[in-house]
Amino acid sequence: MKLYRKEGNIVQILSFPNETVEKGDYLLVEDGEAEKALIVQVIDVQFATIPGVLEELLRSLPDGGELIQGEDVDPLEIASHITYIQDASLLVCKIRATVENEYLNPSSSWLPSRSQSTIKKLPIPTLLQLAKTNGNLPINLGTAKDSSPFTIDASSLDGRLNIITGKKETGKSHLSKLLMVNLVQYKATVVVFDLNGEYLSLGMTTDGKRNVNYDKIHVLTPSQNFKVALKQVNLHVLLGILVHALHLPGTSAREFRRIWKELREKDQLTLHELGEAIRNWNCNQHVRDALFSRFHALVNSSFFTDNIAEATLLEESLVKAKDHGGAVIINLRNTSTIDRQIVVEYILGKLVESLTSWKLKAAFLFAEEAHLYLRETYWDDIVTRMRHFGIFTTFITNQPDTIRENIYRQADNIFLFNFTNEHDLDVVSRAARVDAETVRSIARDLPPHHCLTLGKVVRDFPIVARVKALDIKTMGETRLFFAG
Amino acid sequence: MVAAVDTSTMKIAETNTGIVIAVRGANVWKQKENYRYTRLGPFIFHITEENRKDIFNTLEKAYFTPTRDQNRQTAPTLQQMPTRIAGLLERWLQAMLTKTMNGGLILFDGSLTSGTTDTPIRRMKEILDNGRDRKNTVLAFSKMTNLRVNGCLITDFALDHRPPYLLQTLGLRLKPPMVTLGDVYVAKLSKGNCAFRLDIDHQIPPESRIEAVEKLLGNDLISQSYPETLRLAHILCTFTANEVLAMQHFITRKCGLQIINRPDMHRLLFGSFGKGENYS
Repeated sequence: MKLYRKEGNIVQILSFPNETVEKGDYLLVEDGEAEKALIVQVIDVQFATIPGVLEELLRSLPDGGELIQGEDVDPLEIASHITYIQDASLLVCKIRATVENEYLNPSSSWLPSRSQSTIKKLPIPTLLQLAKTNGNLPINLGTAKDSSPFTIDASSLDGRLNIITGKKETGKSHLSKLLMVNLVQYKATVVVFDLNGEYLSLGMTTDGKRNVNYDKIHVLTPSQNFKVALKQVNLHVLLGILVHALHLPGTSAREFRRIWKELREKDQLTLHELGEAIRNWNCNQHVRDALFSRFHALVNSSFFTDNIAEATLLEESLVKAKDHGGAVIINLRNTSTIDRQIVVEYILGKLVESLTSWKLKAAFLFAEEAHLYLRETYWDDIVTRMRHFGIFTTFITNQPDTIRENIYRQADNIFLFNFTNEHDLDVVSRAARVDAETVRSIARDLPPHHCLTLGKVVRDFPIVARVKALDIKTMGETRLFFAG
Repeated sequence: MVAAVDTSTMKIAETNTGIVIAVRGANVWKQKENYRYTRLGPFIFHITEENRKDIFNTLEKAYFTPTRDQNRQTAPTLQQMPTRIAGLLERWLQAMLTKTMNGGLILFDGSLTSGTTDTPIRRMKEILDNGRDRKNTVLAFSKMTNLRVNGCLITDFALDHRPPYLLQTLGLRLKPPMVTLGDVYVAKLSKGNCAFRLDIDHQIPPESRIEAVEKLLGNDLISQSYPETLRLAHILCTFTANEVLAMQHFITRKCGLQIINRPDMHRLLFGSFGKGENYS
């Protein structure tokens, strides 16, 4: 390989056919005299502009597009040299850092010698060692492009905002399960909004047996094994549900507050008593109607119950998870949009409550297709306010434009799977932790189950990795009509 | 069958003692609907003042029987060597074709003029005789000609006649010792602006010559009055820039030579007013 040109933080390297370099690979451009080296990442592989190639190709196709047949008597075997020159490629690389005395420096302000520099592939383990991504809580995600194990540290997910995105069936949920399982094994508390029931079998192996995580997975299905008694609910949590999920106007909310206080004083916080109180409350008819319609929505969700024995405490699951590590899976499959919003409002309210009262230290929240249940104002809450309470969110989506631009800008880590659509790539490339060229060029060519890892987990060295297989029973597969 | 021969040469480097050249030749023939080729080379020679005579004589002795005149001749100069070696290869390819083909049309690039230093009369005569013995007709197309009538190039005569047509030239005289072994025509074989000098072996009866051109029109693609077989032969033997790089790569690897770009004196002296040596 030979250094060809440098423009800004882009370096072009001439590579010959016997040197196999692919998009995403790292190269070390060493200048022995300067005692410095550039770490560059290949973001595109192009044909080198060799003079005469067009003529070469044209003359082999003179006969209506069919190759002209013939024999070449080439005693000096020049043909192999022609192929060698013709197949030379130009590697477009992005400068990631400068190495000087084994220390990394993000600068690209110097120019290595074009004639004296040596260029070689930089193995991913060496890069990770230089970048000091290793920690005490390793999570093995799979293998890097050079087949070396690719490990991140769980602490780099702690306190961070993460996004897992990519088009359908590329392995997003698989990666989120892998992260989840590893976090649980490090005794972390994980809460999952499971839209399609994909995470229900995290405690089972592929052949249906219990795995080591079985006791740490708590599946809560709203209105089935997950119900809430009004007595267990704080007023502000319920008001959150009424105002944000059920869009109760402010005046009606004030009246509801009064009703609630009166019932609580009388220790009559039941659905039945609440209904009666609304019926008999001395207020404007419109307000009563508004309160009644919301009351019926609560009743119809079957999420609320008067039977304390029937009510499962979310807090109990969270406490169990807090002590030994565990994942609370909120199964939102078969839940209507309104009910889903009610449940999510309740859980987020409860989580904040538990965290502010230090019943919980912190929780990792995994939210699949959050735009389907997260209200507008929560997005900002999650990236700013909730982070301080100790809720560290991972968004998982195949529609990157459903996540706001400010979320991308503040995301600490992005696990990017394949996207071919330009619009999707544009959206993701707004992330602050990576340049748009890298995202556009590498993400487009990622094979299934390969992700481009960006952000703090890799110390801003984008790394392509093949996500390893998990011995977990898969759920949430697409139901097929033609499947045998 | 229609067959054609062409060769090309290229100087690929200069050394302290001489030049490095490459030569390549191509035979192309059209059989039924398909074109096929045999391409020989590239052959790379390092020619110096010391070895030029040996190289030329060795090649000539290996492929042709030297004529009495030739034995007295001196070897070409260093500058002439690329074209002379390519000329030797071209004549040898032509000779092989005339000795192996039967009842076909053989297209040469150039004229049937002989008696020059690179084409002795005997050698050209031998090639034509061999061809005739095997019922072949040699048609030689020249892209450029210096033959003029009343000061005008013969290929510039525009006849008010629909192509294809042949215009026969009469009373042509060449400077001795040059002679032409063919009758010279201006051939305009298709629509367009191009016409070419066409030499046809003069020992072939006139009606057979016309018949040969008719056969060519019927059996080969003609574009801009030029036969496709000959065009392909030219294309296949011409060196592309990529191939020159490859040959430079080859000599660097095999002979340990280091290629250095020679400073362009025009650019050096005249800056942006110097157009480079290629334009001088």
